[in-house]
Amino acid sequence: MEEAVKILINELKIKIIDTLNFEDITPDDIVEHHQLVGGELGIDSIDILELVMMIDKDYGIKIDNKELGEKVFASLTSLANFIYENSKSVAN
Amino acid sequence: MTDVRVYITGMGLVSPAGCGVSKTRDAIRRGEKKIRPLSLFSVSQDNRLPVGEVSESIETGGVPRTHQLALIAAKEAMAQCKDVPDAVVMGVTTGGMLSTERCLKAGDTNPESFKYHSTGSVAEHIAHEFRCYGPAITISTACSSGAVAIKIALEMLRTGRARMVLAGGADSLSRFTYYGFRALQLIDPEGARPLDKKRRGMSVAEGAAVLVLTACEDVPDNAIAEILGVGLSCDAHHPSAPHPEGAGALQAMKAAIRDAHISVAEIDYINLHGTGTIDNDLSEARALNTLFPDKKPLMSSIKGAFGHLLGAAGAMEAIVSALAVSENLIPANVGCDVPDPKLRLDPLMAPLETANVQTVLSNSFGFGGNNASVVIGSPNRVRPSVRLKGLSSFSVLGSACLTGAGNTEMSLERISGGKSCKGMVPAPVITEGLSPKVIRRLKRLPRLTLSLASAAHANSGLPDAPSSVFFGTGWGALSETYDFLTKLFESEEQFTSPIDFIGSVHNAPAGHVAIQFGSVGPNITTAGGDYSFEQALMLAGLMAKDIDDTLFVIGSDESHGVLSGLFDRSVRTDDTLSDGGGGLCLRRSESSAGLRTSVTFYENSKNNPSVISSLIVNLAGEEGIREKYGAILAGIPAGCRGRGEEQLRDFLSLSGFEGPVIDYRRFTGEFASASAVASVLAIRFVDRRELPGGLCGGETVYLRGKGILLIGLGDFVTATEVIH
Repeated sequence: MEEAVKILINELKIKIIDTLNFEDITPDDIVEHHQLVGGELGIDSIDILELVMMIDKDYGIKIDNKELGEKVFASLTSLANFIYENSKSVAN
Repeated sequence: MTDVRVYITGMGLVSPAGCGVSKTRDAIRRGEKKIRPLSLFSVSQDNRLPVGEVSESIETGGVPRTHQLALIAAKEAMAQCKDVPDAVVMGVTTGGMLSTERCLKAGDTNPESFKYHSTGSVAEHIAHEFRCYGPAITISTACSSGAVAIKIALEMLRTGRARMVLAGGADSLSRFTYYGFRALQLIDPEGARPLDKKRRGMSVAEGAAVLVLTACEDVPDNAIAEILGVGLSCDAHHPSAPHPEGAGALQAMKAAIRDAHISVAEIDYINLHGTGTIDNDLSEARALNTLFPDKKPLMSSIKGAFGHLLGAAGAMEAIVSALAVSENLIPANVGCDVPDPKLRLDPLMAPLETANVQTVLSNSFGFGGNNASVVIGSPNRVRPSVRLKGLSSFSVLGSACLTGAGNTEMSLERISGGKSCKGMVPAPVITEGLSPKVIRRLKRLPRLTLSLASAAHANSGLPDAPSSVFFGTGWGALSETYDFLTKLFESEEQFTSPIDFIGSVHNAPAGHVAIQFGSVGPNITTAGGDYSFEQALMLAGLMAKDIDDTLFVIGSDESHGVLSGLFDRSVRTDDTLSDGGGGLCLRRSESSAGLRTSVTFYENSKNNPSVISSLIVNLAGEEGIREKYGAILAGIPAGCRGRGEEQLRDFLSLSGFEGPVIDYRRFTGEFASASAVASVLAIRFVDRRELPGGLCGGETVYLRGKGILLIGLGDFVTATEVIH
């Protein structure tokens, strides 16, 4: 895994905890390759939409349909990779 | 009770087709689509989504657009009617939001600018116009509000509480709902295509629909259609997504059919909820396939033609259903080109004017899983005589309150010592016993409400959870509303929070109670300012026959540092911001044993100069009052203290009541649902058969078997009794 993606994963853990108001969860509790939706964190479709808004705001990347959303939010790793790939193209 | 039947004798409608029922009727006849790009307020180009907007110019005359739309519809409905309605019941979700959001964005801090903010002010505006003496009730159950309003009117008429009621719904477009549904990715950029294979969502729309409902033994000459029955249910599944199998939708349709005393086979046409969202249409289709496994009636959704009128949708669709039975006009499912085979439904692709339509089922479902189905029939349709049960009273199984002093015990201790409970409920008290997982996404009002439900249920000792929820809130979820708008404005209308949007609907707290307790029965949220809790308790009484055994009645309001002072004139008079509420766990009871509570009186004092005399007559006169009640708890909102104190003086002098009278807002502080706290206090005092000395000048007052009368004063006068 590229170093940049690793940094992104750690950054996203904090953002997820903050955005979704997880008071009793630390970044270490989020395992990047675990299922994000419907997993042990109890994240559901509304949480995903809240994260969509955060990603648009903080990274300038839009995820505006369900099919793409399901693929991107499969796990934290897939989310970080998607943001990494798309911010590269934005930067270029 | 005789076989009273309820007829639609007048209709008024403002929709994206224009002002007047005939505009919508003509658009239906031509199968027109009235969804166009938004023009009412400016949004950035890449944000411009199609909506159902009333394109005619609407002069608002100092009130918000929703109020004016409602008034236009009400005037049309009442055009041929000279009588004064006995009550007004309106379904409204956002009230004066279009004006409020503009003022907040501009940094306006003049409370005058927000005086029509509340959802409850729409019904009051109409009641004022028609000089209605009776209750002005506001139902706020998101997208089913207009249909639920018809249910409440129906029960008022059936139980003899009214002979004629104005019922309907109204909502104007606002940035709030426009960006809220957009944030949920529920808007179809092509315009709503209900049931279509390629559907991607709904179109937000605006309008108002008002029906004159009249109770008669015989069919009146001006009867357009008959309201045969309405069924309500709650998914108790998710704050915004419908139950995947349509369990709640099915339950509401079955309840409506039962209430109408008809068979499933008698339904000729179904006006679908059919929003065009992927999940709604799928869930509704599954429910319909279960209810009609073989031959299905004709069916269509009008939301592809006009969009989703939110609080007005259920009432507009009742009008469209009335047109179906009175003129045999069935709308096309506009917007659908290729029906989604997964739905296994066969929507009407063109308007139909040749079918003989006797009976229509109209569906309206909303956030919080609040479902309503209305059955409308031809007035000349043969129907067996039905004898309806009268009002039931409720026995009190459990109660709990929250105040600035803390939980029930803390509040009772302070109040019993004659000390104030003013202030905001301490956060750790609210969350005590609530699972962090359950409340993660909830802000102050839903937390308060869940906490009250849990404590009232624990106090009842009931092993099972109550099946129904009646919830009253003056102002709804202010934190979510404020945070949603703040984020929206700070990001120049780019970003906002979907969680705050879902949480901002008035019925969200009651939805969370239903999810937590698995309460799948009727779930109604009322928003009638300082009388919201009384509305909730009164509606529970009206709906008694639809309630399966036990229920919650809860009233709560949160205090918000910015909005409470802007919106609530009573809050502005007090240096201390206060909030809290009360929750009751009740059982339907035909017997007169045990501790009981009910609302016995609710009238509009602005339109009724002799309201106090009416109250005394209602309470069986001086003697009745003296014999029945040992004390009075008087609720006088500070915003109308002068008028309230005068009303109390009149009441005491006319009734000759000499027992203790407690001005309870001096102890609870100023917030809309302070009366819910007072109800809980009254229940505890009547149960102990005494009133603590600290409250009444030093000496304990023994109630000697008598009850306590709670009187609400000000713009409305209400009476709620707690008796043994």
